[in-house]
Amino acid sequence: MEVSEPVLLILLSLAEQPRHGYAILGDTERMTGGRVRLSTGTLYGALSRLLEDNWIERCPEQDRSRGRQAYRLTAEGRRNLQREVSRLKRLAHLGTLRVARKET
Amino acid sequence: MLALYRSILYLYPAAYRGEYGDEMLEVLSEVQAKTRNKGALARVACAVREASGLLCGALGEHLHGFAGRYDRFSSMFLGGRFAMRSEFRFPKATVGLMLVILAAVMFTIEKAKAISASIPHANPPVGHIHPSQFEILPTLLLTMLSAVGAGVIGWAILFALRRSGIQQLSEMSPSAGLRARK
Repeated sequence: MEVSEPVLLILLSLAEQPRHGYAILGDTERMTGGRVRLSTGTLYGALSRLLEDNWIERCPEQDRSRGRQAYRLTAEGRRNLQREVSRLKRLAHLGTLRVARKET
Repeated sequence: MLALYRSILYLYPAAYRGEYGDEMLEVLSEVQAKTRNKGALARVACAVREASGLLCGALGEHLHGFAGRYDRFSSMFLGGRFAMRSEFRFPKATVGLMLVILAAVMFTIEKAKAISASIPHANPPVGHIHPSQFEILPTLLLTMLSAVGAGVIGWAILFALRRSGIQQLSEMSPSAGLRARK
């Protein structure tokens, strides 16, 4: 299953460590050098789908006193992310070969 | 701005708002605090991005709640049962009604074809038609208005069905049953 860029960035952010909503926004912005700035609506739309599909889960031990809730990847989510990264690697390799062939 | 965001959050489905509303408001307040020291342009850009993101998100959640996802939709039929989301269920009679309407439309089309075939084509052929005025714009407007009208009617029907479905579900709840017994 292919994922969109915002979803991929969210998954990559959670692959490193559990994060809450605002931390995910900041991390995606850092990862893309400010190119992608997710809105809160987009973030939570993606998070709710990922929760439904069991790609991520809520961290029960996190402090929710300020309305913060941390999320982390599930084992299934990590497997799916690895699969997606492999797919993108293959695509990038193919793209590199094709572009090089065109230029020569 | 938080008041605006909070009001837009009311456009989300109630269940979604109950689950994520507080978290989203917390994130929005942090985003707002971060942009407080930035220039006016950055603040406006941030507000537009967040407001449009919330609006799109609300629309997306309603569409998601209405149609469900494709895999759920297909499994609904593959599984041989109507396993729709609990907060949105069609009455079973709706399916029968839709089939009756489909049959009526098909019957009408066939009847019209039969009538058309039975009428002799005695009219003289019409020559080349020269449009007397530019009519694309009114036609386009009329088409758009018709589409909007059809959409509003469809939405009203679905809204009514949804309301009736939720009402039926609440009547089926154990607490409602207990109240009825009392």
